[in-house]
Amino acid sequence: MTTDLLIVFLASSFRLAVPLLFAACGEYVSERAGIVNMSIEGMMLMGAFGGAIGTAITGSPVLGVGVALLAVLPVAILQSVLTNRLRANQVVTGIGINILVLGLTTLGYRQFFGARSREMIPGFDQWSPPMLGSLPVIGPIFQQAALAYVAVLLIVVIAFVMSRTGIGIVLKAAGDDPHVTAISGSPVMKVRHGAVLFAGLMAGLGGAFLSIAEIHTFTEGMTRGVGYLAIVAVIFGNWRIGRVVGACLMFGAATALQFQLPAFGIHLPNALLIMLPYVLALLAVAGLVGRQTAPRALAQPFWR
Amino acid sequence: MNRVAKAATINRYRGLRTLAGQLAVPVLAVVAAFAVGLIAVMAMGVPLGDAIGAFLNGAFGSPYSISASLNRAVALGLVGIGFVVASRAGLTNVGGEGQIAMGGMMATAVCLLPGVADLPAGLSFILPLLAGALAGGLWGALAGVLKVRGGTNEVISTLLLSFIAVWIVYMAVQSEALLRQPMTNSATLPESLPIPPTTQVPLLTGSYASPVTWGLPLAIIIAILVAIVLQKTLFGFQLKAIGLNPVATARAGMSVVVGIVGALFIAGFLGGLAGALMLQGEQYSLKAGFSSGYGFDGLVVGLLARNSISGVIAGALLFGFMRSGGISMEMIAAVPSALVSIIQGLIVVMIAGAAYYAEKRDAR
Repeated sequence: MTTDLLIVFLASSFRLAVPLLFAACGEYVSERAGIVNMSIEGMMLMGAFGGAIGTAITGSPVLGVGVALLAVLPVAILQSVLTNRLRANQVVTGIGINILVLGLTTLGYRQFFGARSREMIPGFDQWSPPMLGSLPVIGPIFQQAALAYVAVLLIVVIAFVMSRTGIGIVLKAAGDDPHVTAISGSPVMKVRHGAVLFAGLMAGLGGAFLSIAEIHTFTEGMTRGVGYLAIVAVIFGNWRIGRVVGACLMFGAATALQFQLPAFGIHLPNALLIMLPYVLALLAVAGLVGRQTAPRALAQPFWR
Repeated sequence: MNRVAKAATINRYRGLRTLAGQLAVPVLAVVAAFAVGLIAVMAMGVPLGDAIGAFLNGAFGSPYSISASLNRAVALGLVGIGFVVASRAGLTNVGGEGQIAMGGMMATAVCLLPGVADLPAGLSFILPLLAGALAGGLWGALAGVLKVRGGTNEVISTLLLSFIAVWIVYMAVQSEALLRQPMTNSATLPESLPIPPTTQVPLLTGSYASPVTWGLPLAIIIAILVAIVLQKTLFGFQLKAIGLNPVATARAGMSVVVGIVGALFIAGFLGGLAGALMLQGEQYSLKAGFSSGYGFDGLVVGLLARNSISGVIAGALLFGFMRSGGISMEMIAAVPSALVSIIQGLIVVMIAGAAYYAEKRDAR
């Protein structure tokens, strides 16, 4: 009995962490290049919206994900132009974009689905890697929507690119000292543009996972702060991919606990568990949990 | 032309040019954003006249709607003034929402304390207002302390503190041990008891047909006071100095610690006051999410104002009336009030995007 509950808990922790993993790993790349995207929230929302619309029209969740990526692209380009070309305040533009996207998606949803409709859209089939899924006891953990495995794959790719390739080194250098990086002949501006677009696409995938694989419909403002939580995960993860992933899994577990604790006979206020990631992140940025080493040129515009 | 002559020429034109320049960007942004809004209305196939009529009716149509818009503008204006104070010291306060939440919650708690409702001479509503403002102020000052202690970026800390505050309110109205009204049956809503009538902020007209509260004159006085403090006092100068160069400010013998903590305390204090006013002047009982959206709207107002208090007043009125108009547009003309969010978002993006060019031009 208890083992079963534990397995359900682990499986749902991972499932709830997937949107965060997508968004946070994208934001990690962008922040290593020196750019904070407060607009991750808006990008996820746009991804969720595009994913829902795309899937509803085509009937195919895979094409829906494609539509989500297309929908999020203009938002990411807008953020990139504002921060890189116009050197605008990254926090302020991000919040502006979030308000804008909330309005656009709410309006678009009403126009497309009609007010208050809750039409379900087809989701992904459950899929599990060969062998792993048929393991005794822990097998059910690997019964996840196929898109979840894309997240795992992308994390491995990001970790490899960031630590083992020239692109990763230039990108991190652009976030630490863009001027020296530029003098050494690397295309800082291009790298920074690319990093923001990448963060946008990743957030779009996270949003699409929410609407297509998780909720099976779009609701107004459905990301409800997950995007901000992704930024929190990057901070709490101290701008290191391994720890960022760990933070996302921990936040996913905290969310899953809300539904699981009553089953274990423990009664805690929900709000405490929802608050937990933010409190932990606050302690982390306050320097009470280890030293924080943010990229040195984080949130600073670059120009020659 | 040598540098001195060039500087003299620039100075001659700068007065006029900066005023026009400061107004040009926000005005153009607002006009362009509204134009996009109108195009969107047409694209939805709603007759323009209907939508505009409903919008104006909701914003200005009756004493009630004007009062509601003004009350909203008061809350947004207070948060906006706080944003400007913090921004004078080079700080970006994104924590308006949490400061409102803490203010509203503390005000409710004090209103419901036994004995408070019977206090004489207006203290019955002034004390909770002060308590709310103080709670917001401490919530803001916390970010200031983290900043001077460990260099924690205030953008991140105020944002995190906002989320925490919103969930604290949620917890408070979910638990009978905290602020939830006694559960008499399963349909008892998760909100606080209504606050006693004597703790409500009195209405200017005394009539619920035009429920604008004494918060309006209070906010105007605060706006004037803050403008004077920023322009004419040593503290105002200290904030400006910190904003320009904290190291030089410390060398000059002024306290950076006091300035940073003080600025965020004031920002939080005004946010907390806004929350207390919303609670005691309009909503009368604490509900989860009561602060929703006000913090970011107030931030946008402060941002639009580009550091001027008169700008905050204009922006607060604009957004106060816009939100009310938007709600009416949705109810009467079936145009989703999300359109107001689109217009607001566009305004923020355009102004922030133009900021660099505006500064470059001013510096030339």
